[in-house]
Amino acid sequence: MSNKRRLWQIFGPVLCAFILLLVIFLMPWERTFSKDAIYQAANSQTTTIFKGSRMKQNAFDDGYVPFYGSSELSRLDPLHPSVLAEKYHRNYRPFLLGGPGSQSLAQFLGMQGTAKQLKNKKAVVIISPQWFTKIGQDPDAFSLYYSPLQACNFLLGIKKTSVSNRYAAKRFLQMPETKGVIKSGMKTIANGQSLTSTQRFLLENQRRMLNNEDKFFSTFQLRDRIQKINGHAKLLPNTYSIKALDQIAKQQAAINTNSNSFGINNKFYKMRLNKRALAKLKDSQRDFNYTKSVEYSDFELMLHQFAKQHTNVLFIIPPINQKWADYTGLSESMYQKSVNKIKYQLNSQGFDKIEDLSKRGSEKYFMEDTIHIGWRGWVAVDQAVKPFMNQKNEPYNYNMRNYFYTKKWQNKPGMIKTTDKYPAVENRKAALKEK
Amino acid sequence: MNFNFINLQPYTNPQYFVYLMIGLVPIIIGLYHGHRLKIYEVAFSLVFLFLIFDGDKWQQGVNLIIYLLFQLLVSYWYLHYRQNGKNKTWVFYLAVVLAILPLVLVKFQIAFPKAPIPGVLAFLGISYITFKTVQVIMEIRDGAIKELDLSTYLRFLLFFPTFSSGPIDRYRRFAKECNVAPKRDQYLADLEIATRNLFQGFLYKFVLGWFFGTYWLPKISKAALIAGAANGGLKFSWWLVAYMYCYSMYLFFDFAGYSLFAVSISNFMGIHTPVNFNKPFISQNIKEFWNRWHMTLSFWFRDYIYMRFTFFAMKKKLFKNPIRLSQAAYLLLFLTMGFWHGLTWYYIVYGLFHAIAIIINDCWLRYKKKHKEQIPSNKFTKWLAIFVTFNIVCFSFLIFSGFLSELWFGWK
Repeated sequence: MSNKRRLWQIFGPVLCAFILLLVIFLMPWERTFSKDAIYQAANSQTTTIFKGSRMKQNAFDDGYVPFYGSSELSRLDPLHPSVLAEKYHRNYRPFLLGGPGSQSLAQFLGMQGTAKQLKNKKAVVIISPQWFTKIGQDPDAFSLYYSPLQACNFLLGIKKTSVSNRYAAKRFLQMPETKGVIKSGMKTIANGQSLTSTQRFLLENQRRMLNNEDKFFSTFQLRDRIQKINGHAKLLPNTYSIKALDQIAKQQAAINTNSNSFGINNKFYKMRLNKRALAKLKDSQRDFNYTKSVEYSDFELMLHQFAKQHTNVLFIIPPINQKWADYTGLSESMYQKSVNKIKYQLNSQGFDKIEDLSKRGSEKYFMEDTIHIGWRGWVAVDQAVKPFMNQKNEPYNYNMRNYFYTKKWQNKPGMIKTTDKYPAVENRKAALKEK
Repeated sequence: MNFNFINLQPYTNPQYFVYLMIGLVPIIIGLYHGHRLKIYEVAFSLVFLFLIFDGDKWQQGVNLIIYLLFQLLVSYWYLHYRQNGKNKTWVFYLAVVLAILPLVLVKFQIAFPKAPIPGVLAFLGISYITFKTVQVIMEIRDGAIKELDLSTYLRFLLFFPTFSSGPIDRYRRFAKECNVAPKRDQYLADLEIATRNLFQGFLYKFVLGWFFGTYWLPKISKAALIAGAANGGLKFSWWLVAYMYCYSMYLFFDFAGYSLFAVSISNFMGIHTPVNFNKPFISQNIKEFWNRWHMTLSFWFRDYIYMRFTFFAMKKKLFKNPIRLSQAAYLLLFLTMGFWHGLTWYYIVYGLFHAIAIIINDCWLRYKKKHKEQIPSNKFTKWLAIFVTFNIVCFSFLIFSGFLSELWFGWK
């Protein structure tokens, strides 16, 4: 056998494999997911789904409404929004987006792929004041939620550099994960320039591959919680009544919190709060401060994205378990100040659907554990969600202010009172018509 | 303008191979045409070494350089001493102790991070480089190595494909190959095996290893911890059994995959680095297992600890009974291996466990030899032997994993 032939026999298959792989990943594949797969994905809270596009797009076209939040979404008790929506055959189903550590910056990135699908539609955001620490988004948690695909979407979606996208690019660069052409693209945007045609070309191709990867593999590793939801739904009364639900909530909470005096879920208490941990946590949060935080500007990115999509958003601000706050020494007045600051940021830009539950942390069985809403808290949430979902889908216009990206705003001490006077919000519909 | 270092840890992700292959092209073309581009090879190795130790790992890099200078000093001092015709035993011991000293200090450092030893810092690959220098000193003592060419020695110590975790090559073998180019026919055969090994490595490390280690293991681990806490007592549960098998599979596919990469890249460079794994799980007893699992390590321990100790003990007549002698040698070998893995209880217990296993195995083999007629030997017993060996090995890996420590004491 000639040497050339031998070489071909050795490397030929490798070469063919690579070409085949490249072709497969660069082809514009289409995929629609089955209803079951979407339902599973909507309740799975896996990072793969969070980081992907196709599944969310499919779901939002199919009557799912995104519930952006964090760890409280996984408190899947019988009163959880997903269970209520299923039990009472609502016209929507929640699509849970977020988990531990998914703060505003991660959420903003995750929102990139679905701008079209959410246009003029609805969304629910559960805000955690705990996000609003001095450094904001935890970089390690960000790595968990960082999606190169959404980073490509972000960069390629920029038509003109603005204060908002420059701020976003700078923040992404502070996170450990951006690499390669995405990193160079972020730098370009952060410097206020627009992407070069080479950058665009590379990003387009990368996006195409990542989109295919997303389409091929996003149903992989789904967490199946459907059984759990159906099981929980059976516990609920057949006709919807707040009183009856509240009764169930009390019953359920009573069974599940009987191991401690904090009203904390037994499992959580046993796993996370052993004697040593408890002793350590006593008075440990005395100096916590959520009023000065870079998170306020990161949060503005999320709002900006909603404004771009003209999405109608319901914001829910949960409380802290009062007994727990007393134990750890977290200051109630500080908490309220941060809540007010968040509300000011929302109200002043026209986001006026806010369900402020922040003062209800002492109500019995309102919280599932330390800072996560549960049982009766979910019933309270539903009293805001239900009427909100009954509204017609309409385009919403907002008055975005770049002021919220400034250090000055981030470091402004929390307001004692939300003022009633906001910069005038123009008539939304009129403004839209002019366009 | 902030400058960002590209830091590449060897064989950790598929992109790494793209860079590696680009760097290898000139070497491959050269060797194919019968030329070994030594200077390029050195530059290539240095660049990839630099990429391991740059950025925030620069201190490791500095330590590597200091370590190398120290080892060269020890090796050449001892070589010089031997070349003068002297051969005192205590000098030999001193040289070995000096060569091992940095590794020992590093192991202490890792075990007791709260009491740092000034000036001592671990770097990636220190264990494996120490195997090489100790081996050279021992062979200088034997007179098997009479000359130590500085550039060859350095290339041997820093040989990039096997730098981080072996396989452990031998100096004399390496020196024979590294200055010549293989014949074309031989090289073509090498390329064929190298390509095959590379892809088998991908399958092992990035597919199978990923499934066992990244996909399943964390879930099983969590379930085992929860079930253990619920059961109380020794915190055993069926999940622990699942953990044992899953971890064993992960360990094998991850490490065998890595070893295949190292051998493959060596072959591309025209060096026949010895293989590390040879179907370990079809072993019919523990002895056979160690001839198939992490082979270069066990052969190293066999040649430089087991054999040396046996000769020493025979000369000094420490044991009357040869069986006792071999048992003591096994104990020494596996305890050393345990300590080498780290100064933690589970590594040491792992060593002890294997020592006991191989001693029992030896007893059994002797018993079997004596009673050949009574003990059946057929297909079934063969499979039974494989099954028993496999489970004993997996159990030892459960100890090795440190998961029991996490389960019982909450630390690893």
